[in-house]
Amino acid sequence: MGRKLLLDKAHVENIRLYDVYRREGGYRSVEKALKKSPGEIVEEVKKSGLRGRGGAGFPTGLKWSFLAKPEGVARYLVVNADESEPGTFKDRYLMEFIPHLLIEGMIVSSFALGSNSSYIYIRGEYAWIVDILEQAITEAKNNGWLGKNILGSGFDCEIYVQRGAGAYICGEETALLESLEGKRGNPRIKPPFPAVKGLWDSPTVVNNVETIAAIVPIINEGGDEYAKIGVGKSTGTKLISACGNLNKPGIFEIDMTISVEEFIYSDEYCGGITKGKRLKACIPGGSSVPILPANLLLKTAKGDTRMMNYESLSDGGFATGSMMGSGGFIVLDEDQCVVKHTYTLARFYRHESCGQCSPCREGTGWMEKILLNIDKGKGKMSDIDLLWDIQRKIEGNTICPLGDAAAWPVAAAIRHFRDEFEWHVLNPDECTKRNYGLAHYAEPLKMAVPA
Amino acid sequence: MAEEKKLFRVTIDNVQVDVEPGTTILMAARKIGAGVTPPAMCFYSKLKGSGGKCRTCLVEVAAGSTADPRPMPKLVASCRTTVMDGMVVKNYSSERVMEARAGVVEFLLLNHPLDCPICDQAGECHLQDLSYEHGKAGTRYEFRRRTFTPEDIGPYIQLHMTRCILCYRCTYVADQLTDNRVHGILDRGDHAEISTYISKAIDNDFSGNMIDVCPVGALTDRTFRFKNRVWFTKPVDAHRDCPTCCGKVTMWNRGDEVLRVTARKDPWGEVQSYDGQPGWICNTCRFDKKKLGDWVVEGPTKISRHSVISANHYIAAKKPRETISDVMGGRKPKLLMDIHSISDVNDPSVDLSKISGPPTGDTYDENHQE
Repeated sequence: MGRKLLLDKAHVENIRLYDVYRREGGYRSVEKALKKSPGEIVEEVKKSGLRGRGGAGFPTGLKWSFLAKPEGVARYLVVNADESEPGTFKDRYLMEFIPHLLIEGMIVSSFALGSNSSYIYIRGEYAWIVDILEQAITEAKNNGWLGKNILGSGFDCEIYVQRGAGAYICGEETALLESLEGKRGNPRIKPPFPAVKGLWDSPTVVNNVETIAAIVPIINEGGDEYAKIGVGKSTGTKLISACGNLNKPGIFEIDMTISVEEFIYSDEYCGGITKGKRLKACIPGGSSVPILPANLLLKTAKGDTRMMNYESLSDGGFATGSMMGSGGFIVLDEDQCVVKHTYTLARFYRHESCGQCSPCREGTGWMEKILLNIDKGKGKMSDIDLLWDIQRKIEGNTICPLGDAAAWPVAAAIRHFRDEFEWHVLNPDECTKRNYGLAHYAEPLKMAVPA
Repeated sequence: MAEEKKLFRVTIDNVQVDVEPGTTILMAARKIGAGVTPPAMCFYSKLKGSGGKCRTCLVEVAAGSTADPRPMPKLVASCRTTVMDGMVVKNYSSERVMEARAGVVEFLLLNHPLDCPICDQAGECHLQDLSYEHGKAGTRYEFRRRTFTPEDIGPYIQLHMTRCILCYRCTYVADQLTDNRVHGILDRGDHAEISTYISKAIDNDFSGNMIDVCPVGALTDRTFRFKNRVWFTKPVDAHRDCPTCCGKVTMWNRGDEVLRVTARKDPWGEVQSYDGQPGWICNTCRFDKKKLGDWVVEGPTKISRHSVISANHYIAAKKPRETISDVMGGRKPKLLMDIHSISDVNDPSVDLSKISGPPTGDTYDENHQE
């Protein structure tokens, strides 16, 4: 059983309320942090090796140290709670059950960054969580953790919650800032980066909910202690939201030392595939990361066991690996159809493309239509190559990563499941009645024998 | 020496140029000339904040700067990337760029109706130029093209949403030139459209400039609609004393008739600047002054932009050298058949300048009596 840092108190009754949270040792980190200097906290976070939990995995301490600090200009901390990636729902759990953990982390982070007004930009569909957060903020304020001169340190901080209007694109940090400013949520062209010119042209740090929550144990335990958990550059614990054909889907906190196989099959975590079926494929980090067939998921191309951490999941690059992403673990059993699944994702990205740059605006719609044709058995063999060509022309040529996110699932599906696409083309009648099945996707990998 | 500004040296397609810090790659390329300049559909140097959207101006940065000569991993939008000293940029010389650009052109044309034969913009359309240069002859798109319900946005401007490429230029014009923007982008993704706020008419004094900045035929002049093809009209520089704008325009005439008035354009298809100020024109000049007497004519417009309307306006065009006698070792080519001996059509004895009206079959008919 791995250590739990974020969710160890999540099942205490009424932990949502301030009194219980405080009794369980909450807000200790604020007391500790306000005695230090902001620079020391940033150092502590750097030492912890914490990586951004939103998807890209950028080291948080490094991000914080990039923040420009011109005299007389306000700085802002914005928490990205616009969790809209299909398959990812970890932030929702955190905010819904232990909202004070986020508030506590925000106070410490705001102090470290010098932000006097910090924002939570929350996904519009999480309507009820807004109330939970606002109640937590009021409680914290009534108890002197927010407002003017917190704990007599001379540091002022206010936290505001802003609801989005239901656009996936507003989870991209610059689009989020545009939306927060009250404009159309279109991503900005970088540079300038938010660390220099962010919210209202002021230096801004945008962090994921889980990242900010992880600041609390880092301050409580110390950066060095935190860095001891996990392996290599994957330090600390990570929340994984597992869904799909699993016996026990849900949120799990892992310390990144377990293997993917253990995560799926052990009773402590997902408890295996439903009805004893076999594993066909899995998307390990939210819908936009490449899908992997079972054989590549459990073992890397080199034959090592694949672990649940940043390095191991991305081992082999996109050719034979995937990404940790935001931790949205989606499992497909042998009865699932990869073509239909890819079509569903393409439809999502088409719907959520902001329409700013042409490759993404036009390309996502095109891919969706071709995938629908193949799924319905109306596809042609040339469509598969066409899809490959379209995704290649979208990827890397857009302003924000949504273009990449739309291209990667299609690319990975064709890369690993091309025979299934071809089967759909060659068997137009059959493919509407039954699925391709497991085929060879779970067979052991052919290992290259060293000469 | 101290007062001298440090200039950045950039190499674009092996041509070096010194530009001021803060210049974008695209503007540096424009300084060199059309041979290395990437096309730009959404960028407009006179509109703040424009650019970065269409992705046609993607270039490859082979070396970031002298200090950090690493190449940039992705292609960058040249219109929004500023130069660094010692930067090496590849535009037409990079296969990656050409491939990506061909892809972008394909994407832009995916839902474009290609109704050039009935489009007023044809002949001065940037999308036409772009697709001639970088596009492919056919399309791989086999689905219904997206259409929109037509919307009336006022008496002067005609909106054809199906032709729009969502460059956002017109919204920047409304933001930066007029007091109040009443139109904008509704919806998102491939169903996003330009529209007005509850079908409100756009009637600001400077709103007509939206027509000039529109790179395609999405916003056209209603007073010129279906009047003539641009390549049949004669562009003439003219000016008048206008209380609201600079009054310097290009008139597009047919005979004595003023068919259309636009702002003057520079070689990049943008409005010309006078003393650093963009020469936007007001709606009175554009839509209401349609008599020759309203204007002081300066002379024929020199069109330097590559486009259909620049046909027959080549400046200093060189006549190609006759090489056929060189190839044949000084011998004259042998006449195999004189077409005029078997056909009356295009009879060289008929002087076309002497006949009235266009030539018909009757013109060459010897038996035909006038």
